Amino acid sequence: MIGVKNLKKRFGDNVVLDGVDLTIQQGEVIAIIGPSGTGKSTLLRCIDRLERPEEGELQIGDLQVDLSRASRKDMINIRKRTAMVFQNWNLFHKKTALENVMEGLIVVKKLSKEQARQIAEEQLKNVGLYEWRNHYPRHLSGGQQQRVAIARALAMEPDLLLLDEPTSALDPELVGEVLETILKVAQEGYTMLLVSHEMSFVRKVATRVIFMENGHIIEDGTPGEIFNHPKSDRVRDFVRKIEMFNAPEYVI
Amino acid sequence: MEAKDLFDIKMVFSNIPDILRFLPVTMELAVGAMIFSLVFGLLIALIRMKRIRVLSQIAVLFISVIRGTPILVQLYVTYYGIPMFLKYLNIKNGTAYNVNNVPGIIYAFVALAINESAFNAEIIRASLQSVDKGQIEAAHSLGMTYFQVLRRIILPEAIEVALPSLGNSFIGLIKGTSLAFTCAVVEMTAQGRIIAGRNFRYFEVYCSLAIIYWVITIIIERIIKLLEKKMAIPEQIVETGKEGDVA
Ligand SMILES: Nc1ncnc2c1ncn2[C@@H]1O[C@H](COP(=O)(O)OP(=O)(O)OP(=O)(O)O)[C@@H](O)[C@H]1O
Ligand SMILES: [Mg+2]
Repeated sequence: MIGVKNLKKRFGDNVVLDGVDLTIQQGEVIAIIGPSGTGKSTLLRCIDRLERPEEGELQIGDLQVDLSRASRKDMINIRKRTAMVFQNWNLFHKKTALENVMEGLIVVKKLSKEQARQIAEEQLKNVGLYEWRNHYPRHLSGGQQQRVAIARALAMEPDLLLLDEPTSALDPELVGEVLETILKVAQEGYTMLLVSHEMSFVRKVATRVIFMENGHIIEDGTPGEIFNHPKSDRVRDFVRKIEMFNAPEYVI
Repeated sequence: MEAKDLFDIKMVFSNIPDILRFLPVTMELAVGAMIFSLVFGLLIALIRMKRIRVLSQIAVLFISVIRGTPILVQLYVTYYGIPMFLKYLNIKNGTAYNVNNVPGIIYAFVALAINESAFNAEIIRASLQSVDKGQIEAAHSLGMTYFQVLRRIILPEAIEVALPSLGNSFIGLIKGTSLAFTCAVVEMTAQGRIIAGRNFRYFEVYCSLAIIYWVITIIIERIIKLLEKKMAIPEQIVETGKEGDVA
């Protein structure tokens, strides 16, 4: 079980998360939707402790941490159990695809180079990039880079996978291959927290959808509930608007 | 005296071996000061970037003073200052360091290393800050400690960025060692002056020195270029197929 309790984060006077509570069961794929600037990214970043909230507790399995007072060791423990896939993939420029995936295994998990290589090759096969393992990021397309980033995250065997708009920085023709990879990962049983504006994909992949606005969770339900029978007008308007503007250009 | 005796070009070249006997002194000074300045410069850069209280302010002051005063003055300050400081320690603690036993090269080394550190700290800081923050976050998110991120992700990229500037700085340092005579060190330039003192052929000797420093500079520039090439991400991949993307 993974739990976030009373998460509060502000930037100056701007209250971004206003006491967020969230419980995640193992194997759930939770999509977070909501208007721009409502704190979706900040929520993910606080969970990974890339951002320090003023208040909030995080529980991942037997690990319990007060996020506002996490020690360096706590932070590393949190990050060992979570893995983040970024909007701009953030691969290590000076390392090949394979080295990118091996890095955490060697440095954080202290595996031997040989063991790390085996796992990394396996993960690259899994995202269909084994043939590209010796390429540097700058010689890969955005879609390929994001798939390497997914392989890098999965290689760490996280209890929770955090994905922050993994396709929104991609050219439209590259979105499909990345969504396909994420769908495959979801079906493998990973627990995921996914921020996305790709509504038709969210319908397909999520077991649960959360609508956020102004630092609050407004609605929390199954995709059917949120998309077909939303309780509030805000959610209905948002879903209608975004589905109108975001007609998918890809087919899975 | 005939006109052709004014300038003895043969002597310009015949001086060179005699001067080059002191190349090791020049290089020891330059390489030693460079290594020290890279370590100390990195430390100063990190102190400034992490905004460590008090230390950070001291670092700013240090850089400002060193950059704002001539190296020649710094050499003299070291040359006269360190013995004074040792004498002070002797009086205060009743110790008996022999001030006159400190070899001149130590003073020259200290002054050059400190001067070089101040300049390299700024080069290193700029290069560390040039590394894309996304990668650094990704590394932290994998669970790396700050020093692991620094060593594995930030430095390899920052070094590539800093290399041309550090190379220039090293070339400047080599030329700077020619001022070490102020601390009674005999390196190449001092040796040149000694030769000229014997035969009064100052112009020829300084021509010899110019040629030597110039050639050294060219060699170092070449080495830096080679290193740059070696560090850059290869343009094209040779191993394993480029074709065969599965998606
Ligand atoms: N480092 C920061 N410093 C100051 N303000 C920030 C910082 N990061 C985010 N914010 C502010 O916090 C608010 C929430 O940002 P956040 O990125 O979490 O929103 P979001 O829901 O992810 O939006 P989007 O859909 O546009 O990605 C915004 O008003 C943003 O300007
Ligand atoms: Mg965001």
